[in-house]
Amino acid sequence: MIEKELDVVIIGSGAGGGAVASALGPLAAAGARIAVLEWGPKLREHEFTGQELEMARRLYFDRGGMLTRDLGMTLAFGRGYGGSTVVYTGTSLTVPPRVIVKWNVPGLDSEDVLRRSEKVLEQNNVHLLDEALLNDNNRLFRDGCRRLGWAVEQFPINVKGCQGAGLCNLGCPNAAKQGTNRVQLPAAERQGVKVVANCRVERVEERGCVATVVPSPLGEPSAWEPGEYRIRAKAVVVCAGAVNSPALLLRSKLPVALPALGLYFTAHPALILVAQHARAITNHQGHPKSFYCDQFARTDRFLLETCMYFPFTTAKSLAGFGAEHSKLMSGMDRLQMILVLALDDARPENRVTIGSRGEPVVDYSLSERVLDSLHEAMKASARIFFAAGAERVHAPAGQRFLIESSERDRLDELIPRSGVKPGKVPIAAAHLMGGCRMGSSLTDSVTDCWGQVHGLPWLYVADASLFPGCAEINPYVTIMALADRVAERVAASLEKN
Amino acid sequence: MGVLGKREWDFLFRVAERVVPEVARLEPDDLGRFRAIVEEALAERPPALQRQFRLFLAVVRYAPAARYLVPFDWLDQTRQDAVLAWFQDCPVGLIRKGFWGLKSLVFMGYYGRAEVGVAIGYRPDPRGNERLRVAR
Repeated sequence: MIEKELDVVIIGSGAGGGAVASALGPLAAAGARIAVLEWGPKLREHEFTGQELEMARRLYFDRGGMLTRDLGMTLAFGRGYGGSTVVYTGTSLTVPPRVIVKWNVPGLDSEDVLRRSEKVLEQNNVHLLDEALLNDNNRLFRDGCRRLGWAVEQFPINVKGCQGAGLCNLGCPNAAKQGTNRVQLPAAERQGVKVVANCRVERVEERGCVATVVPSPLGEPSAWEPGEYRIRAKAVVVCAGAVNSPALLLRSKLPVALPALGLYFTAHPALILVAQHARAITNHQGHPKSFYCDQFARTDRFLLETCMYFPFTTAKSLAGFGAEHSKLMSGMDRLQMILVLALDDARPENRVTIGSRGEPVVDYSLSERVLDSLHEAMKASARIFFAAGAERVHAPAGQRFLIESSERDRLDELIPRSGVKPGKVPIAAAHLMGGCRMGSSLTDSVTDCWGQVHGLPWLYVADASLFPGCAEINPYVTIMALADRVAERVAASLEKN
Repeated sequence: MGVLGKREWDFLFRVAERVVPEVARLEPDDLGRFRAIVEEALAERPPALQRQFRLFLAVVRYAPAARYLVPFDWLDQTRQDAVLAWFQDCPVGLIRKGFWGLKSLVFMGYYGRAEVGVAIGYRPDPRGNERLRVAR
């Protein structure tokens, strides 16, 4: 076992870990020993090939298809230098103040989160795309919403030199997306923070952790030689994401009881919906995600967003099989897509646990309320598709594989609530939150409002697992804002000691 | 030895032909790539999930005997499709989820091959914005 002595060890390099590393950069420049331990590789530029299966394997845990215990939902989360910020679309929204109020964490106020969010937006070159760079898939969504009189907004995105490859979810091949792999981690490294790729942390120990660096055929060589490491540090900051952070702490056998650890997992359960147009549209060219509709966020608890996916992901997101499925798939250049996100409640029974080998296991049961939201969202999406001129729509809960535009007035009948059956309706999630939630009480939270784990002044959490409830928006800016808070507290504690 | 034996592969191809009809027309090399993709994906899953998958394949194969008195392989294509549709819409959630897993593997094997993308109109371009400008 190789011994390492550090001041701060950061576990994970995604939105949380990258933000913490960046904020602590000045300390590193002043001589503090800080390392980021990242499970996955640091890919070289030519290894971003844009090939669906290849990149899913390189950049996601379980290829982006980790199954919940009941097999009812797949979870997508990234790994590698930059974590999930390598594979998101870069949509950069700040959390609505009402969400922070609803979280009800004493000491956490929306002004502070918004101020830090603004800093993230500035760092990441967040802006609106020019009208000329909006493809048909996005314009049709916007136009459909407007024809229906529904609220539709453009997403600010964090790109620099975007060429419109449309491959955001497979890692940008043009290095345009401003994830932590492009902004915060390189900045931190320039100030002396060490980022160690291919390094899996087995467990957290008293003021430290045990990790293994493995050789990888992909990416740049790790900063540390392959082998087992025992790392001592004054502060440990866990930023491994809403699945791996709770799992890591659960298998670490910490010296305090944390009854809420792993509980209150939320995920924005999602559907990918598809419609077919009479002619080819621009859909895979250009940035894939430019608009969202939050018309129903408060009433029916769902968001609608534009999206555009790849052949396998699209195929598995359709209910059905055989000739009609193949026929729809055979004209991908005619497809318009909408992503539905259900805004799920935090419930203690939805949780992360660990299996016999210490691996994460996620229990998530889709509540009737979530299924209601998905049902209403399918019908709303069908209305948008038809308002945008689609010839036919695929609703996974539909009585038939395709609903024709001539049937647009019968959506309530043709998309029955009884058709929303998990398994038949493919449900996936990529906004994974909770499990180490902030709060003031040991009974229903894991950390305080600064991300410090209750009872362990050297241990912090700084990622989406802190969220006491779902974010109701794409979460990365909020993760980075909270991580910035945590870093401030870590820096203060180091200076105090 | 992979996750599936020869008989299980033969049966999986039978099902695959109903899930994606084009599988029946694949050349041997393409079928080999289909198999390699599925094999690799299965091999990465935990042993318990691999066992569940093999068990589910057996259920799909022999469950039709309860109604038709013969296994899936012996049914004509119309009845095979009816059986698969029943699995997809089954009142038992675990069966529906198992069928989704089975058909997802088939989709992965077929649509995961890069050359299929071009054939079905999937044409991303590293310089997509230029194509947008041309399209206008």
